[in-house]
Amino acid sequence: MATDNSDPTAEYRRNQSWLYDSKTGGYVRKTAIGLLTLVIGVFVLFPLYWMVATAFKTTAEIQQIPPTVFPENPSFEGFRLVIESSIQAGGYAGLVNDLLGITVTSAIDINLLALIVNSLKVAVGAGLIAVILGTGASYVLSRREFRGKNLLMSLLLASLMFPGTAIMVPEWELISTLGLFNTHLALILIYGAMTAPFVVWLMKGFFDDFPDSIIEASQIDQCTPFETFWYVLVPMARNSLIASFIFAFLLAWNELVFALTLLDNSKFTVPPGLLTFVQGFNTQWNVVAAASIIVSIPVLAGLAYIQRYFVQGLTGGAIKG
Amino acid sequence: MSYVDQAQSSYRNVTRYIPESLRVYLPILPVMALVGLFILYPIAQAIYSSFFTKSLLRPSEAEFVGLANYVEIWTDPDIHQVLWNTFVWVTVGSLAAIVLGFLMGWLLNEKLPYTSVASAIVLIPWVLPRVVGASIWQFMFGGSQGIVNELLVQLGVIDEYIVMLGATEYSLWPPIIGMIWRLAPLFALLTLTSLQGIDEHLYEAARMDGATPWEQFRYITIPMMKYNLAIGFLLMLIYNVRNFSMVWVMTKGGPGVSSSTLPVMIYRAAFIDFEVGFASALSVLLFVVLLVFSYYYIKFYDKVRGEM
Repeated sequence: MATDNSDPTAEYRRNQSWLYDSKTGGYVRKTAIGLLTLVIGVFVLFPLYWMVATAFKTTAEIQQIPPTVFPENPSFEGFRLVIESSIQAGGYAGLVNDLLGITVTSAIDINLLALIVNSLKVAVGAGLIAVILGTGASYVLSRREFRGKNLLMSLLLASLMFPGTAIMVPEWELISTLGLFNTHLALILIYGAMTAPFVVWLMKGFFDDFPDSIIEASQIDQCTPFETFWYVLVPMARNSLIASFIFAFLLAWNELVFALTLLDNSKFTVPPGLLTFVQGFNTQWNVVAAASIIVSIPVLAGLAYIQRYFVQGLTGGAIKG
Repeated sequence: MSYVDQAQSSYRNVTRYIPESLRVYLPILPVMALVGLFILYPIAQAIYSSFFTKSLLRPSEAEFVGLANYVEIWTDPDIHQVLWNTFVWVTVGSLAAIVLGFLMGWLLNEKLPYTSVASAIVLIPWVLPRVVGASIWQFMFGGSQGIVNELLVQLGVIDEYIVMLGATEYSLWPPIIGMIWRLAPLFALLTLTSLQGIDEHLYEAARMDGATPWEQFRYITIPMMKYNLAIGFLLMLIYNVRNFSMVWVMTKGGPGVSSSTLPVMIYRAAFIDFEVGFASALSVLLFVVLLVFSYYYIKFYDKVRGEM
C-alpha cells in the first residue's frame, strides 16, 4: 500500500483503460469496431446483394467468367421468365392471348404461381389452427394452477426441438396410415402442431403480464368467462395474436422437409418447388434469384412486424427485450 | 343471445358431466392432441419401426428383426464419415455462429445508428426461406461462375477456379459456412436482447468502484447473460444437428457421403433406398442427441424464468 500513499493517483490510473480513456485509444477502438462491423456486414449482406444483383442480370451475363459484380445491363429477364413460365404452366397462356394479345411461350419450367398458391393455402391454414388452439390453451396455462401444468409446458417446449429431420420417416408412415399422403391438409396439421407450442408460449407471456384488475372489473360487470375472454382479452391481445399468426405463417412458408417428403410434384409448396428447379438440369440462376426474391417478399413483410416479438417467440418468453 | 353467450352455454352443456377439477384441461386438450399425434407419437413410431425391416415400397410386409437395424448402423461403411461430419457441424458450426453472433449483437448494442433497422436487416438470413438462402450459397460457391472462386483467385489464395461443391476434400465446408451465415443473426439478436436487458445502474456502480471495461464485461455482462447465452448455444446445437436443407440444396450430401450429415443419411435411407427400418433406427439416434440437448435447453430455460 506504500505505493498508493506515495502516489495518490496510482489507483485511479490503474483503473483507467487506455482503450477507453486516452484519445489515441479511442481512435484505435473506433477503427477496430468500424473494421469489424465492415467485415461482418459484408459477410451478412453480400449474399443478399448477390441474389438481387443476379436477378437483374441477363442470361448471357450470368454465364460470364469471371462474374460481374454489378449487373452490366440491368434487365428484368429473370422476372419475365418466371412470370411467363407461370402463365404457361398454369394454363393461362390462352387467356392472356385473348385479353392482351400477347403470345406467351416459355422455355423454362417453373410454375411459381401455383407453388405460391399452395404455400398460401398451407400457411394460412396452419397459422389459423396454431393461433386458435394455442390462445385458448395459453390463457388457462397462464391464469390457472393445476396438476401437471409444468409437465405440459415442458412437453410443449420439448416438442419444438424435434420436428423436421428427426421425425420425417415416422411422420411419413403416420400420414400414409391416415390416408393424408399428398394432401395439403397433412401439412396444415403438421405445421399447426409445430407452431401451436410457439403460440402457447408467446400468448402465455402476454397473459402473464395482463393486469388482474381489468379481468376483475369485467367480472364485476357480470361478464361470463367467455365474454371476458372474447370482449376484453382478445381485443387487447390483438398485436400478440397477429405476431403469433405471422410466426406460424412464416414457418409453414419456409419449411422444406415435410413438404418434400409428404407431397408429390403436383402439390408442391414453394420450398420443394424451388428446390426441384434449382437442382434441375442447367439451372438458370437469374430465374432462381428472381423467383427467390418474389417468394421472400412475404417473409420480409412479416419480419418487419414480428421483430419485436422475435426473441420471445424463439425462447418461449424466457428472454424478454 | 350473442354467439359468445351461445358458446358459453354450449360449453356448460358439454361440461356438465365433467368434474370441475378436470375442466381446466379442456382448452389445453386440442393443442395436446395435435402435438401428441403429429410430433410425439411419431417419435414412438420411429422407435417401434426401428425393430423391423420395412420397405417404403411394401410397408405391409414388415418383419421383426430385433436390433439388426442398430447393428447395421454400427457396421455401415458410411457411418463413420457421416457421424464425423455431423460432429464437425455441431461443434465448428455452432461455435463459429456463436462467436460471430455475439460480436454482431455486441456491435448492434454499441449505439450504432439505426439499431432497430440494422437488427432487422441482420435477421434477414435467418428468416429467408431455407431453400432460398441455401441456393444463394450454392450459386456463390459454384465451380464455373462462382463469386467465391473469383474472390479467392483475386486474393491469390488459389490459382484457378476449383470445384468446391463437387470435390470430396472441400464439400463439407460450404454448407457449414452457409449455416453460420443463417444462424449467427439469431444468436446476435439473443445477445442484443440480453445486453439491453442488463440494468445500466450495475455498470454505473461498478465504474464508481473503479472497475475497468474488461472487469465490467467479465463480472457483470457475462454473469448476467450466462443462462441466455446457454439457451442460445443449445439452440445453435439443435439447429445444426437437425439441419437438412443447407446440405441437401448445396451438395445433396455428396460427392459420395463426403458432406452428408445424419439427417441427410436418414433421408437417403428412407426416400431413396426405401429402407424404413434402417432409417428409423438412424432417427432414434438423432432423437437421443436432440433429447440430451432439449433436456439442457429446458433446464436453462427454467433457470432464466426462475430468476425473473
